[in-house]
This record gives sequence, C-alpha cells and structure tokens, in this order.
Amino acid sequence: MRRFRACLWFCFVVLVGSPLVAPARGDGIAERAKKLHFSSIVLDTHDDTTQRFFSTDFDIAKRNADGSIDIPRMREGGMNAIFFSIWIDGRIMGPPAVQKALDQIDAVRENVRRNSKDMAFCRTADDVRRAHAQGKIAALMGVEGGHMIGNDIRVVRIFGDLGVRYMTLSHFYNDEWADSSTDKPAHNGLTDYGKEIVREMNRQGIMVDISHVSDKTFYDALEISKAPLIASHSSCRALCNHVRDMSDDMIKALAAKGGVIQINYEMSFIDQAYKDASDKLSGGVVAIFDRLKKECGDNEDCIGKKMAEMQRQAVAEGKLPHVSWERIIDHIDHAVKLVGSDHVGLGSDFDGASMPEGMEDASKLPKITEALMRKGYSDDDIRKILGGNVLRVMEQNEKVSREMQTQ
Amino acid sequence: MKNIVSITTMRAAVCVLGGLAVATSLAGDSISEKAVSEKAKKLHFSSIIVDTHDDTTQLLLDPKFDLGVRQNAGSIDIPRMREGGLGAIFLSIWIPSKVTGPTAVQKALDQIDAVREQVRRHQKELMLATTADQVRQAHKDERIAALMGVEGGHMIASDLGVLRTYAALGVRYMTLTHSGNDEWADSSTDKAVHNGLTDFGKDVVREMNRLGVIVDISHVSDKTFYDALETSKAPLFASHSSCRAICDAPRNMTDQMMKDLAAKGGVVQINYHVGFLSQEFRNAEKADPKINEAIAQEVTKRCGSDANEGCMLIEGDRVTREYVAKGVLPRVDYTKIIEHMDHAVKVAGIDHVGLGSDFDGANMPYGMEDATMLPKITEALLNKGYSEGDVRKILGENTLRLMTDVERVSRELNLTK
Repeated sequence: MRRFRACLWFCFVVLVGSPLVAPARGDGIAERAKKLHFSSIVLDTHDDTTQRFFSTDFDIAKRNADGSIDIPRMREGGMNAIFFSIWIDGRIMGPPAVQKALDQIDAVRENVRRNSKDMAFCRTADDVRRAHAQGKIAALMGVEGGHMIGNDIRVVRIFGDLGVRYMTLSHFYNDEWADSSTDKPAHNGLTDYGKEIVREMNRQGIMVDISHVSDKTFYDALEISKAPLIASHSSCRALCNHVRDMSDDMIKALAAKGGVIQINYEMSFIDQAYKDASDKLSGGVVAIFDRLKKECGDNEDCIGKKMAEMQRQAVAEGKLPHVSWERIIDHIDHAVKLVGSDHVGLGSDFDGASMPEGMEDASKLPKITEALMRKGYSDDDIRKILGGNVLRVMEQNEKVSREMQTQ
Repeated sequence: MKNIVSITTMRAAVCVLGGLAVATSLAGDSISEKAVSEKAKKLHFSSIIVDTHDDTTQLLLDPKFDLGVRQNAGSIDIPRMREGGLGAIFLSIWIPSKVTGPTAVQKALDQIDAVREQVRRHQKELMLATTADQVRQAHKDERIAALMGVEGGHMIASDLGVLRTYAALGVRYMTLTHSGNDEWADSSTDKAVHNGLTDFGKDVVREMNRLGVIVDISHVSDKTFYDALETSKAPLFASHSSCRAICDAPRNMTDQMMKDLAAKGGVVQINYHVGFLSQEFRNAEKADPKINEAIAQEVTKRCGSDANEGCMLIEGDRVTREYVAKGVLPRVDYTKIIEHMDHAVKVAGIDHVGLGSDFDGANMPYGMEDATMLPKITEALLNKGYSEGDVRKILGENTLRLMTDVERVSRELNLTK
C-alpha cells in the first residue's frame, strides 16, 4: 500500500510536475536561465523562518515537508542570501518586546553557528559576496517593526551591533513613533523621535525599511534619511490595491533616492481578485492574523501553518481564486517599467505569508529568472533584480554610516 | 599644575630609561609622581595594568558626561587613567538586583550601549577589547582597553539567549549575583534559597564557559562559589573581593576559598572599598547602623529622590569621607590594599592576585582616591620586596593569563559541540 502510494506520487511528479517546472521549448532559454540563476547572488530580503527556530520539530538543515525555507531547498533554488526577519506581535511593547527580539536574534545566530558549513553570518555587502564565493548561504537579519526597540534609541544601536541590517519602522500597528499602513494614524507619520531614530539608523548603517508603514511615514522617512531606503517586502498598488503595497508615485520617489522595492509574493498583495475575495471572506490579512493569534497564542509557527492551511482549504472550496506565481513577474515588470531595473528586487515573505501556486518554496526561485529572461530582460538586469540592487543599497548605507561616524 | 614642558620631559625620560615608547601621563599634576620612585614609575608605566571592576558606567548614561574630560568627582576618566597608567578597565554593567525580568535586560543593554558609545566617541583613546590579545594590542597602540562585565545574573532574566547576546556585544565576565539572590544563584548578602547554584545556574556557568565569559564569584554566597568552582571548566575569578582573614565581610574570601580558587587557576582581584579592607571601619559601621542610614539619607538629599545611580555612588563616597573627617568613622589608608594583596599572595600564590578597585562604586581609602594614585601600589609592592615580574603579574598579567585560559576552554568546548 505504502509502496503503491509512493509510486503514484513519483509518477505524478515525473509526468505532471516536471513540465510545469521547466517548460521545454527547445530555445535554450531554460538552460541559459539556469546557468545565470545559479551563478548569481540571489538575495531575499524578507523571510519569517526565524519563528520556526523556536519549534522543536523544525531543523533548517533538513528538508521540511512544510514551510518554504530550509538549507536543502535554498540550495536547490539557488537562494544564497537571506534576511531572517526578527518579528513579534506589534502590540507587545516595552522591555518584553526587546527581550523577545533578542531571543530571535540569538536564535538566528545560534542556527547559523550550528550550520556554519552551509551558512555564514553577514553584516555587509562584502560579507555577502565572500559567503557566495565560499559557496555558503549568507544569513542576515532585519527587525520587522520599530516596537521592538522599546522606545529606546540605544536599543537601535544594540540591534545594529548584533548584526541587524534593516529595521521596518512599524509592523501592523503604530508604534510609539511611527504610523503603520494598517492602523489608524496617530502620529501624522514619523514623530520627532522617529526622525531621530531614522538618523541613528543611518549612522549605524541599518537600512530604513518602509514596508508596513503608512504613506505619510514613508514620505517622512524618505525626507529624513541620508541613505537610500528599502521596502523589504511590498508590491505594486497599481496592480493590487492593498495598503501594504506601494503606489507608483511612492515607488518613483523611493527610486529617485536610490532605494529598492523588494516584491512580496503574498497572494493578497499581488492579485486584486484574491485580495477582494479574501477581504470579503475574512476581513483581510490583519483580521485573519488576529483570529489565528487567539488560537495559537505566542506560537508564531502555528499561526503560519494554520494560515497556509486556511488558504489552501478556501481555494479548494472555490471561496478564494487561484493565484499563479506569474503574478510576481507582473509586479517585478511593472516596477521595472516604472523606475528601471536598478530599483527592484525580491522580498518573498516566505514562511510569513500565503504563497501563490508555483512559488511554494525557495526551490522554485529559478522560475523567476527564466520568466524574466523570456520577457527579454538582459542578464545584467536579472542579476540586479535577483540581488545586485540590494547589495548596492547596502553598500550605500555602509558608506553613509562611515561618513556620519567620522563626523 | 604642571606645564607642558615638564610633562614632555617626563615622557621623554621614561622613553629613554625604559627603552620603550610607552604613553604615560598626558596631563596635569599628580600625587603619584611626587610619591613614587623612578624605578617604580618605570615599571608601572611599562606594565599592562588591568582593573577588573569599575562602576563608571552609571555616569556614562548621562549623555552630557564625557569620559574624555577630567572630572572633579569620581575616580575614572581618560585623563586620570592615563596619568595613573591604567591600561585596561572592565566597566561594570550593573542595575540593582531587585530589578529583574525584561526591564533588567533593557537597562543592561542601555549600559552596554553607553560603554560602546564612549568607545566610538573616543576611538583614539579607547579600544573595545574582548580578548587578552586585544588588551595587549591596545597597550601597544597606546590606547586604553575598555572591557565589560555584567555585575549580577539577574540581568539575563533566566534566559541563556540573553547571556549569549551579552557575550556577542562584548561582555567578558558575569558576576553570578549582585547583593540579592537571583533566580538561580544565592548571594553572600541575602538569605540562601537555592543552596548555592540551581541546575539552571549550572547550565549558565557551562554556557559562560562555552562563550568565553569569565565566571565571576564576587558577591556570591560561599556555597554558590563552591558550586561554580566545581561546575566551571575554566578558571574563575573574583572581580572585586578582598580577604576575609583581614576584614570579616561576607563579600570577601576566606583563605580556604582563595586557595581553592587558585588551585583551579583563578585570580582574586583585590577590592579597595574601605568596608572590605578594614575591620575597624566595618566594626564602626556595624556598631551604629544609624551612620549608614544617615549617609543614605544625605545621599538621597544631594542626588534627589529620582536617584541617578551614578550620583548616588559618587556622593556616597563623598559623604562617607565627611563622616571620617568628623571622626565618626575611622580613616583607612591605601596601604590597607597592599596588606590584602600581600596576604592573598601568601595564601594563594603570586599568580592568583590582581586589581579590582571598585572605583566609582565604593568608598575609597585615603591615598587611593582615583586612578592617578595607582603607581603607589607598584611603589609599595616594590618596597615590600616584590620582584618586578611579580608586580607585573599583580598589576595585570595574572588577569590576562586567566583570560587566555578562559578563551582556550571556550575554543575547546566549541569544537566538541
């Protein structure tokens, strides 16, 4: 019985699976794309895998049946640089938020240490290049939400000293000094203290991440920051009208200051039909999250798993539409047409969002390279999108930091 | 006040005599220069002098405080460290032991940041060091090595992740408790509740060994000391404790404890606090508890009810001196420090004694008011007949050896894991 099922699965993969993964068209593009992909630095700026480190049944070194990220699947998909997201619920504030953030930073550092044959802890663009040259996965960290500093600018510096290389100014809820895109404005963007924090981030070489923040916060941060900003995981509002995405004007303003928009793969951020249906069905991302939070408590891994299961079920029942991974390409292409290939990158939101069909995990990433190549993108442009652009922004942030520290 | 010419002359003299280009005093008048022989000066200013406990960090939390400027109060700043030849300083990360949990963690981070900020601000003068080699490098570069120790296990909030975070930020020792018990270790000045170290406390010690964080047994109960000594794979130290045989305070070490510490390669770093040095002073304090209450009241009056710890520590020292001047408390001379060192050397051996002043956190004896007075220790030890090599060991080499040993154990443990 068991063997029979294994055979069935195998046959399915061979007959149905493989043509989906790599359509053989005999034009040589598939081969060329593969070569390009696996020789590039493929840097994803947002992965919520950190939460899973606290589950006893998760081992990043082993191939996991669930989730999207582990070393084997990163290797298979050529993903060789990852920003692990440090994240806790935005309603936890003050010292408990700080300590919980430290625990996550420690979990990342410990997992990298235990897997030092495969991963290297990185702080700078040069570190990432060095890790790539050694055949290791570059591990970086971003703090997803300003609430984790406990309203204390000293903690920003501590995070920086521990290796955090970006901070998202807010998460779903306003924090003490910045408005979120999914909360009622309370500060009219950034407060004075919020501006001080942005300047301190510049001084420490911590990239300012404007995903999640309100439009006003975005423009305030853009004005204050001396270094280019990133949207670590946001897509295009012109294609899917979600507050978590960026309007064309915002993308243009971000690019004009040298920044990058890292496209998020979450279905309700990339597909209008899905977002509308999801809003009607469950009240949207924040509402779903809140409900699951009640069921799972502090177990964030549980929330992730339940969310994925809920979506799968709703799609199976026809309550939510199918979304193809090709929508990701639409968003990349829209942003490139708008601001050029120097200002777009990848910010999957793997292990923290609902992935479209065909982009279930890191092993699927080569499809992005092939799709862009088929759209006529040059090899150089593709490399920039895969990781080169973020490395450039990191370098610029490092330079600004050096200049500010010597002043 | 000395003029520039005489300072330059003195520096040149040291270079010629010692054959070493060593930075000595960069500024000003000093008692030490007058009281200390040329031989002692030469030895002192060519040695690496390590002090393993200074509470100056509290003052650094005030953004207006600048370590680069000579202060009128307290014992430590860059000019006075230069003048006294203090080459490496462990700045203490400390909050009262009644503050626990996440609040304790955030407050500790604030202090770690305050230290790191001062180092960033004074890069020409200071260097953040985490290893013995870095301390030696700083000495070569004529910079003062700044190190950090967390004074009290309550600051990890029972969380090994926080301990690892402190290590990652550069903390190189942790005192297992402060004056109150924490969740996993008994203090020498609290009622025993854990019978020494709990099982988790032993895990903490083992993780410190792996991280290369020195286990500091100052402040802990005797039972905690013996538990830690048994559990630790690396040598331990007492970052700021003196000898109980001379002054019977629970914060000091018995002869047997010092022998046992030394047998495992450890070091007792002599504390200069008058209440730990002098039995007479301690007796006077004990005889009339109202004295300390009155001192505490006066300190609160001077620092305000919204007490800044830095102010309290410094005013505490000042008010205590006023009581000594009035004859209420006995006067203790700095030579008492030498007495403790000499006793510890006789009991534990020359390789197991060092300096743990407690500057800016305790009441200093007369003649050891601040870092500029340190050459007098060298002078006094030479006068007692200590060899130059032995003096260097006490001044810093013993601590550096201990650090090297702790680093080696850490490397070994990381390899086997």
